[in-house]
Parts: sequence; C-alpha cells; structure tokens
Amino acid sequence: MIEKLHHVGVVVRDIDQALAFYRDTLGLDVHKLETIDDQGVRAALLTLGDSEIELLQPVRADTGVARYLDRRGEGLHHVCFQVSDIDGDLRDLKAAQVELVDQEPRIGLAGRICFLHPSALDGTLVELCAPIATEPAAEDA
Amino acid sequence: MRLDHLVIAVRDLDAATRDYTALLGRSPSWRGAHPTYGTANTLFRIDNTYIELLALNAGGKKNARWAGELARFLDENGEGLYAVALGVDDVDHTARLMRERGLDVLDPADGSGVDEMTQAHRAWRNAQVRVASSHGARLFFIQHHSPADALPPAPLVAAAGAGEAVRRLDHIVVLSADMEAARQLWEDVLGVRLALDRTFPERNTRILFFRLEDITVEISGGAQQAKEGIGKPDRLWGAAFGVDDLSATVARLNRAGVDVSGPRAGIKPGTLVATVKGPHTHGLALLLIEHTAQSFREESRLPQGAAFDNAPERRAFTLRALDHVVLSTADVDATAARWRDVLGLGTRSVQEPAGTHMRIADIPAGNCFIELVQPLSDDHRVARAISGRGAGMFSISVEVDDLDAAVSHLRSKRVPVSDAEPGVWAGTRIARVHRTASNGVSLQLIERR
Repeated sequence: MIEKLHHVGVVVRDIDQALAFYRDTLGLDVHKLETIDDQGVRAALLTLGDSEIELLQPVRADTGVARYLDRRGEGLHHVCFQVSDIDGDLRDLKAAQVELVDQEPRIGLAGRICFLHPSALDGTLVELCAPIATEPAAEDA
Repeated sequence: MRLDHLVIAVRDLDAATRDYTALLGRSPSWRGAHPTYGTANTLFRIDNTYIELLALNAGGKKNARWAGELARFLDENGEGLYAVALGVDDVDHTARLMRERGLDVLDPADGSGVDEMTQAHRAWRNAQVRVASSHGARLFFIQHHSPADALPPAPLVAAAGAGEAVRRLDHIVVLSADMEAARQLWEDVLGVRLALDRTFPERNTRILFFRLEDITVEISGGAQQAKEGIGKPDRLWGAAFGVDDLSATVARLNRAGVDVSGPRAGIKPGTLVATVKGPHTHGLALLLIEHTAQSFREESRLPQGAAFDNAPERRAFTLRALDHVVLSTADVDATAARWRDVLGLGTRSVQEPAGTHMRIADIPAGNCFIELVQPLSDDHRVARAISGRGAGMFSISVEVDDLDAAVSHLRSKRVPVSDAEPGVWAGTRIARVHRTASNGVSLQLIERR
C-alpha cells in the first residue's frame, strides 16, 4: 500500500556541481551526503517539502547508475514510493509476476528498498521503500 | 587554527582521573603539575585532540594567575568544561593578529610540564584571551614546542575491547545568549569557518556550526539561553566523543557503574548517541556518538554538516513541495491501467485539454500526483522525448510560493527559465527551467492559487 512519494532520483556526473544548482541556487537543504561503497554511488538527499530529491553520482564504473549515465546522460532516474508493508507488497508483486529488479528487500539510503523493472510500468523505474524508524533525539549535546 | 585540547576543571584530580579513565576506556597519557601555574593535571590523548583534567595543586602557589582563575571558576560554576585551547603555529603572531582584531590577548608566555609517571618533559608557549573579550568562553592559543609524540596516545584499559573506548572528539557545544556576538567572535575575529547556520524550529534552537579541521564547534542559542538575556556570558557546556561501537561502549559503561542513557538515534542521520549522566562527567555535558554504516566513507564520519553547507541566506522564493511527476507514455490509458494494477494507484481524471495536443491522466499518490502524458502530435516535445529516450520519466514539477520572484531570481543567477504562463492544471501558473541548468532534469516550477 503506497503511502506517499518518498523521493525522485536524479543521476548526475558530479554531485558538487549539481549542489551548486539544487542547493545554492534553488535553496533546497541537503540533509544527507554520503558515499555508499557497497552500491558504488555518492548520494545527496535534499529536502523538498515532505519528499526528497536524491542526487546520485556513480563512483565506480561497474554499477547500474554508471551504465545509465554512460548511456543516457544526466537526468531523472527513478521515483520512489514509501509503502506500509514492503514485504507484503513485494510478495504480492511476485505473485502477480510483475518484473522486478530485486527479489527481496535490501538496505538502501531510504531504508528497506526494492526496485521494480522499468518494463513493469512502461519505462519508469520505480523503487519502493520502508524507512527504518528512528526515535527523535531531544537533548543531544 | 586547530582545536588543540579541551580543559575540564575538576576539584579532586585523583577522583576525576579515575572517572575519566572509566568513561574514556583509556588510561592517562600524562600526569603532571604546573609549578608556575599552581595547578596539576591529567591528560588523555585521543585521535584528534587531548583532554586535560585540571585541578588546583595542593602544594602550589594559589596566587598564581592560572590557579586564581581556576579557583574562581570552581567557586562560581563548579566543575565543568573550563577552556578550549586553540593550536597555532606561531603564538606571538596570532596574539598580534587577534589584538588587531580587537581581542584582548595577554602576552604569550612559555610553559612546561613534567610527567610524574615517566619524567618526560613537554614545553609550549601560550597566550590567554581575557574572558570578557570572548563573551565568557575561556580560550587560549597554544604553540607546542615539543613534538606531538611527546604526549603518547592514552592506552586502552583492560576492560575496554575494540570499539568500546572513546576514539575522537566529534564536537563541542557552547551555549550563547547572544548569537551574533558569538558568530562575530568565531568567524570574524578567530577566522574559523562557519559551515552551517541552522534553526531547529521544533526545538526553538539555532545552532552555528564552526569547523576546526574534523572537530565542530556548535554555538547553540535558543529559548533556554535567550531567557538568561543578551549580554550574559557564553558558556562552554558540552562535548561529544566518537566511539566505534556505541552499544558495546554503553554496555561497558553500565558494567562500570556509569549512568548512561541510550543508544538512540542522533539528530544527524546515520548517527547513534548516548548521554552520560551523573557525577562521572564532572560537570561536562557528555554525549557519545557513533557514525553508523561501516561502508560509508570518510565524509559521513565527519561531524554534522560536514559536506553539506546549506546556505543560510534569506531566500527570494521557497520551494514548498514536489507537486507532481510527469511520465511520458505512448498510451495514457494502457499506462494508467498498469499503475492501477501494479501499484494500486488509480486515476482521478483523463483529459485532452484544448490546444495542448496532449492526453493527460492524473494519478494521486498521497503527497503529490503522477501525471501521465501522451503526445497527440508527432512534433510535440513529449513525442520527441519518447523517440529520443523512450517513454518514462519526463519532468518534475515543484511548487513555489512566488513564481515571479523565482523566475527573476533564477534569471539573476543566469539560469535559463521560461516566462511564467498558465499551467495545464486549473489554478496554476508555471515556468520551465531548461534542463541544461538542472543536470538534465526537466524542471517545472508551479504556483497554485
């Protein structure tokens, strides 16, 4: 069950250069900037109301994001929806024989995530995510 | 300029040394006395700084300047974070420079100490800043004459396994009732880089994040501090120490009888924190922090705001929310059926607005909607996009509070953006940012009336 649009993913060649536009010119706040070696990407998350823009820069050539950048250049890459029950939803998708990239949820920037194959939705790459809950901190030094 | 070390004022040096040995999971690097200062100290070197516990020396000269000031501090404030030592290469030069900038700096003077345990000798030259001219935060500049390895790393105690000891200083916290004065001191006078100026509305707090290499100085002001009134002195308040394994560290401290709360998620994403309470901290507000996710690189181990220096300037316009995402398709009805069948998202409307040569569908998705667009003429820009890149993601539409202000501001920054025009959705005006300016993203700004 989809709760909301969690983020839009954008593939860029150089995050620092992209931040000059998205952060400095548009005025979006970055709330996370990390390199995830496992996935071969450097990512910046920018807050946009109650969703996010996710900038992705490949840091290795042997990744899907790097191949995407090579083939298609910079631009919109995927859209991610937050769901209430990622395990159940993925089970239902498999039962309906929807084409998937991930057969099981894995850990990504947005929590537990999985990607559907773009052919499942006429060319749009869709990610589902279930954020991992964190309790609010009240008194950090 | 570096953060050379922190000085914590304590009454009973032996008790404080025992407590900090337990807290840090490390034995002292140094135990010594300053005969000319009338004080005695214990030092713990960690990865990126060292911690000095400073007490009056029972046999020392109480009238010495350092001892007199320490005695006054203990009388008035009790134990706690006493001073921040800023490391410089040439303390005489720094003192001259800071005086030119209006800081009241005492004359630099040589100092030295002997370690009681090893008889090792260390020498330095330092210059104190009068607290009245630094709004109450006690600072001094220090130039070490001895090599860095004259003060060896504090060895792990037997009870602390790998990851269970304090490794580094993450940040210090200064409470300020006058944020502008604090900003001037740290940025304009000391010349430290202001990395981030952020307001936390839900906590009614504003924090200035200054960066000294990999250590952050957080100047925190808000309701609590403002109550005390502008002009009240700034207060050196707390420190956050980095550990590799917070859960294991908390378990170790619990075994040692230290009162710790946590771990819990920190404010900075990807961090876990725990607060150390009670008498063991000797007046220091003490937080332990772990930067999680081992595979994340160095930048995520840096303190809050490390590489994302959000510009604090007032904005000409505000991006409120993602309004909708536009997907191109060769057949709106077929694609709408897929979105319903695969994702359970139903279509609200399908229309062919006059004069647009498009068939469009509107699929609500909670906080925004998906717009499917089918071009009805071959030379439509959506048709060209489909033949070039294939069907799929076409553009995103972001709601702005003031479209005209956004267009003129972006043009002043040389961003190519179209004139504002009525949007296809009722009650909207839109302008398009050319994708050459936005990393290949077709970006539409939309204003709703």
